[in-house]
Amino acid sequence: MTMPAPLAFEALPIARHASAPFSLDVPERRTVAVLGDEDSGIGRLGGYALGLERPATGRALVFGTVVASLPEPDRLAFRRRVGYLPAGDGLLQNLSLRDNVALPLRFGSGASPRDIEGRVTVMLTALRLMSAAALRPAQANEEERRRAALARAIAFDPALLVLEQPFDGLTARVASELLEIARGGESAEGARRTIFITGQEIPPILLRRVDHVYRLTRAGVLELETV
Amino acid sequence: MGLVALLSGILSFLVISQATRELGRFGATDYIGTLIVVAIVRELGPLLTALVVVGRSGTAIAAELATNQVMGEVRALEAIGIDPKQYLVLPRFLGSLVSVFALLVLFDLVAIMAGFAAARFNGLPGPRYFQIVLQSLSSRDVWLTIFKAIAFGAIVGVVPSYFGLSVRRASTEIPIAASRAVVAALVGVFLCSALFVALS
Repeated sequence: MTMPAPLAFEALPIARHASAPFSLDVPERRTVAVLGDEDSGIGRLGGYALGLERPATGRALVFGTVVASLPEPDRLAFRRRVGYLPAGDGLLQNLSLRDNVALPLRFGSGASPRDIEGRVTVMLTALRLMSAAALRPAQANEEERRRAALARAIAFDPALLVLEQPFDGLTARVASELLEIARGGESAEGARRTIFITGQEIPPILLRRVDHVYRLTRAGVLELETV
Repeated sequence: MGLVALLSGILSFLVISQATRELGRFGATDYIGTLIVVAIVRELGPLLTALVVVGRSGTAIAAELATNQVMGEVRALEAIGIDPKQYLVLPRFLGSLVSVFALLVLFDLVAIMAGFAAARFNGLPGPRYFQIVLQSLSSRDVWLTIFKAIAFGAIVGVVPSYFGLSVRRASTEIPIAASRAVVAALVGVFLCSALFVALS
């Protein structure tokens, strides 16, 4: 029996003027990027994957499950298996970067406060955020906010990461570092995590670390780019 | 807290001063107790306390939650498996219940003490004042006041939260949500107050 793809989109109507619905399988342990203009509708893919939005037709499956169709408590619990870095980081403005990273663990891990603090410290150190950990998002710079958002996304060490415009406004060096952390290390089969990236562009230096780069046209046609 | 105490003190002092003078002319000062218990402690106390909290905290709750929504924080919470209602609304709901109840207790205590000052000022002996007030106060009044505090606290917590979370993605919706929330909460408090009068 074959395992379902960690993430699959089936016949989703994402673009207003698309000639065809959007379909794509994201293979396990692969990094897949879908790039396109704002009009192409790529900004909706993350929401569909996590069941934050319900498509009129078609479906998005995560580990073979349509998240949007689950009852609310199950849906919330299921989302902890998926790391999500939304466009614009989505950090809570009234919490420090440290508390933002700790938030999902405090609500969803059942771990002791001491264990949570330990794990948060490890993640902040890995993302080189310790010096900015006490800052609120409004006091931090864009790079620090993105690092904190990524740390929060990988708080549960998910097998699948959905990243929306993760590298916008970052230098190629920082983008490259964040992608390596997101991949979670390498094995013979590929990266430890499956990563799905959406955005308008990604830095050229990252292309060799991305297994498949697709470009979604305004007409809704998905074209595989040669890397 | 200061505003509630000030409102309560001035209102009670004015009402009891006038009542002591006017009712004293007819030898009906015993009705001061009914006046302070029914009019101030049972009716105006919960109503004014709720209005103050709606004005001060209702706008803040609606604006905060609308900002959370516009900044994508609510969506991010859902995405990391946290129920926004549990994380954002529940603490505000419980806070409203506790604060309206605590402020109502303060309002009533200040009202009774200001009434005492007004009565003394107008020649009514202190022990007589407290005797009249205690005679007029029944357990039913106490329970009604507690139920009103719970109901009004719930309205103050829930209605602005609903309007705050109803905005979509535009920051221009935030002030609209805040003003709608206050109007709706005020209407809710008045309707609820009328319902209590009709049912009690």
